[in-house]
Amino acid sequence: MRPMRTDAVRGHLDGLLLAVLEPGPLHGYAIIAAVQRRSGGVLELKTGTIYPALQRLERLGLLDSGWESTGERRRRRYELTEAGRGALTAERSAWSEFTAAIGSVLNPAVNPVAPRPAG
Amino acid sequence: MSAARILTPADADPVEEHVAALAAAVHGPARVKARMIEEIRDGLVETAAAHEEEGMPPSAAARRAVREFGTVEELVPGWQRELTVAQARHTARAAAMAFPFLLVCGLLVHAVGEGWGLRLLTVLLAAVAGVAGVLAAATPAVTGILARRVALPPGLPLAVAWTGTATAVATALATLGLVVASALAREWPVTALAGVLAAVAHALVAGPARACRRYARLTAA
Repeated sequence: MRPMRTDAVRGHLDGLLLAVLEPGPLHGYAIIAAVQRRSGGVLELKTGTIYPALQRLERLGLLDSGWESTGERRRRRYELTEAGRGALTAERSAWSEFTAAIGSVLNPAVNPVAPRPAG
Repeated sequence: MSAARILTPADADPVEEHVAALAAAVHGPARVKARMIEEIRDGLVETAAAHEEEGMPPSAAARRAVREFGTVEELVPGWQRELTVAQARHTARAAAMAFPFLLVCGLLVHAVGEGWGLRLLTVLLAAVAGVAGVLAAATPAVTGILARRVALPPGLPLAVAWTGTATAVATALATLGLVVASALAREWPVTALAGVLAAVAHALVAGPARACRRYARLTAA
C-alpha cells in the first residue's frame, strides 16, 4: 500500500494520538512508532508535527504529561485523561459515521446506509 | 581541482543543527519553549537511535531522523501557533496577578476620592480591574476546555495582547495620575500607596502583553 503522508492525516491526528495512548502512557517517539506500527507503516507522519499536537491536546485537558527520567535523560510522557477517553469515543463514533457515509456513496451495494429521518 | 569542502555544524551533528534552527525560528514563553526544544531533541535522538539499531551508520541515521522530523518551514507554523497561545495564557495569568493590586488601588483612591481627578481615576481603575478580571478568567477557558468544542478563533491571541496592552497603558496613566495627586493631596500617603499598587499592576501586565503582540503577529504572518 502507498504511504499516506502528513497532509492526508491532518484532521485525524488528534484521534490517532488519543487512540495510541489508550492502552497506557507513552513518550513522544513511542507515540510516533505506535502510529506507524498500527497503520502497518502506511501512515507517514512528519514526526515534528506531533509535538505541538500533543501540547494542544494537553491544553484542552485531553492529555496529562510529566517528565520521566531514564538514566541521564528526561523524556516527557503523555497519558489520556478521562476527558481524553471521552473525546476518543466521540472521534471513533464520528469516524464510523463518516466512513459509512462515504462507503455508501462509493460502493452503494456493499455499504447501504439507512436515510436519516427528515426534520 | 575540487574546492575544499568547509565543515559545517551539520557535518558534526545534524540533530543539534536542526534543533538549533528550530529553536531560532520559534518564539514563546521561555519555559514552554525550553520544554518544546527538549522534546524535539529527545525525539530526534530517539529516531536516530532507532535507525542505528536497524544497522544504519550514525551520521546517516541522524540525517534520516532529521529528514523524517520535517523541515523548519514545515514545522514552524504549528509550533509557533502553540507557543503564541501559551503566551496568551501567560498574559492572562499576569492579568490575574495584577487584579488584586488594581482592586486595592481602586478602593484606596475611592476612599480618598476628593475632587474630579481622583473620582475619574476611581472609574478608570474600576474599568481596568474589570478588563483584567475578564481577561484572566476568559482566556484559559476559551483556549482550554471550551476549545474542545469550538475552534480557537485565530485572532484571539492578538485580542488578548491588545486587551493586556490597554490594561498596561491604563495602569501607567493611573500611576502618573496618582503621582501628581500625591504631590497635591492632603492624603498623599494613601494616594502614593495606590500609585505603587498601580505601578506593580503595570509591571506585571506590560511585558507579557508586549510579547503576546509580537508572537501574535508572527502567527498571523
